[in-house]
Amino acid sequence: MDDDTMWGNVFRKDSKEHESIYSVLSKIPIFKDLTKRELRAIERILHRRNYKEGEVIFNEGDPGVGMYIIEKGRINIILGKEQKLLAVLSDTEFFGEIALLSETPRTAGAISVMPTQILGFFQSDLFGLLETNPGMGNKILIRLAQMIADRLRYSNLENQQLKLKIAKFEENVSKKKVS
Amino acid sequence: MDLTVGKFLRFFIFVFILALLGWLLYELSTIITILIIAALIAYILDPIASYLEAKGISRTFATSIIFIFVFLIFALLIWLFIPGLLDQLIDLQSSVSLQSEDNIILSVENFIKNNIRILNVDALNLREKINSTLDLLAYELVSILGNIISILPAILIVPFIVFFLLKDGREMKKQFIHYIPNRYFEMSLNVLHKIDRQLGSYIRGQFIEASVVALLSILALWLLDVKYFTVIGVFAGLANMIPYVGPVAGAIPAIAVTWLNGGTVPEILYIVIAFAIVQLIDNILLQPMVLSRSVNLHPLIIVLAILIGGQFFGLLGMLLAVPAAGVLKVTSRELYNGVRKFRLL
Repeated sequence: MDDDTMWGNVFRKDSKEHESIYSVLSKIPIFKDLTKRELRAIERILHRRNYKEGEVIFNEGDPGVGMYIIEKGRINIILGKEQKLLAVLSDTEFFGEIALLSETPRTAGAISVMPTQILGFFQSDLFGLLETNPGMGNKILIRLAQMIADRLRYSNLENQQLKLKIAKFEENVSKKKVS
Repeated sequence: MDLTVGKFLRFFIFVFILALLGWLLYELSTIITILIIAALIAYILDPIASYLEAKGISRTFATSIIFIFVFLIFALLIWLFIPGLLDQLIDLQSSVSLQSEDNIILSVENFIKNNIRILNVDALNLREKINSTLDLLAYELVSILGNIISILPAILIVPFIVFFLLKDGREMKKQFIHYIPNRYFEMSLNVLHKIDRQLGSYIRGQFIEASVVALLSILALWLLDVKYFTVIGVFAGLANMIPYVGPVAGAIPAIAVTWLNGGTVPEILYIVIAFAIVQLIDNILLQPMVLSRSVNLHPLIIVLAILIGGQFFGLLGMLLAVPAAGVLKVTSRELYNGVRKFRLL
């Protein structure tokens, strides 16, 4: 919170809490290129939320508004009505980053499995940064683009491997039919 | 039986709270008006503060710089325009209510006698009708003057509130969001952002458009040597916020004043051309830049808003009714969309 505001004084955080957010943020890939001062600016626009055990953070199909960084606790990423577990995330891990770029519906839901503290970084904040501080906004955007490009490359590789497997399988099936 | 009593009690409590809220709003209307005006000014200035902050200046220092700058501009405007504006308002009010009534009626009667002979001037009872209209106009002008004087203490409080809203507004918003339950958090944040974005461009656009049109009109009327050019120019700027009728409504007082002061047809024609040029600049250069027409109110809503504004707050209410309706439309639309998208309805 900004130290020079009246509200900053009313709701002043202690220095331990300040250091904890700072150390969490410096571990997040999209904030890797930011300077200390820039990280402090990010900290000012983040929203800290506390979730109880079993509380829903967002549901599958909700409009995506931004990403979350786990400060403390554990989150399950779930899919479908049967709540199939896709991933378990804990301290300093993040989720929902695609929503920073597009407001498409969430592809999976997120639910806390223990009392959890998360930091929300939203699309509106990123777009605001791009308007008021394009240099800093672009640093985040480039990292985000690199991360998504890496994921796309990985998905393409996986896709190619699957296609090869399917082709081999079809070849085997046709060979069996002939014999 | 218990269920009916319980329902009745709930209904009674609901009506009581609603009435209490209405009474509070009515009693605190002056304070609420001050707060709304301060919030609007802070809203207009916020992007400048954010821009300065991004340049590495602290929010407090950025707010102080803006305040000094705005204060200097206001001091300059007051020094340049206010004495003239007040003189013109008082002069216009006294000439409308006292001296030129007979001249107006005579010239209108002569015009009808000479040009529209089908109409019987005596049967029209022009004298009585024009007298009552002029009395109303004079009353409105005096009430605007009276309003300005009665809100002087408010004018002194507003900058104080604007300073803190501009400096701490973001933190206040964050604290407000902090207390929203988790279930509604994402939806509230999304809706608040969308309202902020749309209202921001609408309010800033209206402000810039009204100011530029007012300044251009003042300049054009001053060049054409029209009496009361400052008052008419400011009115034209404010009237421009009303779609369809605003631009015409802005030109009418200038034409009327020139005509009543013995202006010739070419002089009136020059005024019409000047207002047409101002409108052309507004339509071609300003509107595409400021996006203030993006709210797109239905003409029927505009007429209703003007009537309601006029009924409650007189001439000033009529002028500010359209932007107020725009603000209401954007807020309710985004709130509805947000609630629907997040399946809370």
